[in-house]
Amino acid sequence: MMSSSLFVNRSLCLIVFCMVFFSCKHEDKYHGVMEKIEAEGEHYQGVSLSSENYLEGVDTILISEGGHTFLIPERKNQIKLYACTECHSKPLAEMQEGDIKKAHWDIKIVHANEKAMNCVTCHNPSNMDELRSVTGMSIDFDNSYNLCSQCHSKQFEDWKGGAHGKRIGGWAPPRASMTCVNCHNPHQPHFESRWPARFNTQKVKERE
Amino acid sequence: MSRSNKKWFSLNLSRKQNDDSGTCGCGKTSGGCGSHSNDAEMSEEEFYHAAVNASIGDEREKDGFDQVFDVKMDRRTAFRKLAASLLIGAGAVNTSCSMLSSDESKEKAQIDWEEQFKGNYKLMTDDEKKNTVDRLVRSYQLRTGKTISMSSKNAEEDVLFGYAFNISKCQGYMDCVSACVKENNQDRNSQMQYIRIHEMKDGEGLKFDEADDNYYHEVPAEGHFYLGTQCFHCDNPPCVEVCPVQATWREDDGLVVVDYDWCVGCRYCMAACPYDGRRFNWSKPEVPEEEVNHNQHYLGNRMRKKGVMEKCTFCVQRSREGKNPACVEACPTGARIFGNLLDPNSTIRWVLENKKVFRLKEDLGTEPKFWYFMD
Ligand code: SF4
Ligand code: SF4
Repeated sequence: MMSSSLFVNRSLCLIVFCMVFFSCKHEDKYHGVMEKIEAEGEHYQGVSLSSENYLEGVDTILISEGGHTFLIPERKNQIKLYACTECHSKPLAEMQEGDIKKAHWDIKIVHANEKAMNCVTCHNPSNMDELRSVTGMSIDFDNSYNLCSQCHSKQFEDWKGGAHGKRIGGWAPPRASMTCVNCHNPHQPHFESRWPARFNTQKVKERE
Repeated sequence: MSRSNKKWFSLNLSRKQNDDSGTCGCGKTSGGCGSHSNDAEMSEEEFYHAAVNASIGDEREKDGFDQVFDVKMDRRTAFRKLAASLLIGAGAVNTSCSMLSSDESKEKAQIDWEEQFKGNYKLMTDDEKKNTVDRLVRSYQLRTGKTISMSSKNAEEDVLFGYAFNISKCQGYMDCVSACVKENNQDRNSQMQYIRIHEMKDGEGLKFDEADDNYYHEVPAEGHFYLGTQCFHCDNPPCVEVCPVQATWREDDGLVVVDYDWCVGCRYCMAACPYDGRRFNWSKPEVPEEEVNHNQHYLGNRMRKKGVMEKCTFCVQRSREGKNPACVEACPTGARIFGNLLDPNSTIRWVLENKKVFRLKEDLGTEPKFWYFMD
């Protein structure tokens, strides 16, 4: 009598143990993909893939901002007729006097409002070859993001980290990102509204 | 080579691919040995063609799936075909030692045979993968005269792909949809699209039933925002679980893929997917030859057939080369971010760690690797 109840007890234990053991998903070591990413990312060795080939033909410069080091397209060689001083050799104040032909009259500024922004908010009137900050410090055309970041600090943070600003090349290192002026025309930084690229006529039929 | 330990039976019809096929019992290494054809009623070539015709006949032009399922078959034709299949085998052995002019059709038949009876891609060794890819490339060349490149590249170590979508940035242009259709050789007839962009009203949360995913007006529309969906490459994918033949699975880099040649078209996976991520080929998919993307991957954008499942693969043919998927590259606003989740310095990781991200139907435990966030 004793031994048989012991046997029942034991087998019950075994069954319970088995149930507990097999019911938890033993193929999944982690609770959720975030935990897995963090754990497996700890021994990250790097990948053999590279974006370098996909960056061919794009002149880039390496920048380091807030602990993030990455490539951005060079700007000055993209500006037609840089350096500006090849035409605008005199300071702006002198050029605005008298009857000299107007330059860049076609540029309309749709960026903040007149109180905040005019040409010289960003362009250095005494040296057309460079930009200048609100405090009068000179900023190179290649680093124009330093100008934008004066107001758009949130976007600047996102851009440094990689949440804002499209990648160039591929996902593989090295990272290359568009800089502000590659997507936003600094004089009219908004995106234009337009028609979508596709319309699915088949879907319309199916849903009729 | 893997020939010895293949998981399917194959005939060596094609002499070029086989070292010893030039030699037959008679010992000659070139030309017909003549000893068989003399006493046969039919010449070997006739016999071979008759056998091939009886077996696959006019369906030779069709794809593998059509050959098996798309023919009306009564018991008699079924028996005839079975017999003919055996015959073709015999014929193949019979003709294997004579030099024939129709090397090409032989090769086609050989390829069809091997493709018909190949195993599941998931279980193949690298050599076997390479062989099937080579066969498909050759088959395409024989049929269309065009050369494609097809990769069987495996998942890379230390890579887990992830995606983030910025709802504040998307303007609803659908450039991604367009790029995806072109990149992935999607059926133009049924206008298949992996990506859907949902136009939603501001301030009302995510109401998919009230959203419009086929708008046609100037975008962005006043008072609306746009949210894109596609296959989310769940880390715990329910679609994989339900497949009765394991034609769909999760690769080591996290991509959920389909072997179009193993799929039997039951659409269980489509029903199991909570995100409307899968697309089915109800008709034979067609892409104009001049629009075909020739840079392909076995698990990605290679040409599909009628009756099989397909879906977004994060452009496996691109992503495994280090490129971004076509949608990411096409998006003019930078709303789409793609990268390696295991790289602590990747931009996707920064987004996950520094933005308020969320996923759709997180409570289901599917663990999609596709996050949404706002500026
Ligand atoms: S989104 Fe759907 S099709 Fe894609 S992996 Fe998840 S369940 Fe499968
Ligand atoms: S449709 Fe194909 S991939 Fe999907 S469950 Fe059926 S066999 Fe598997």
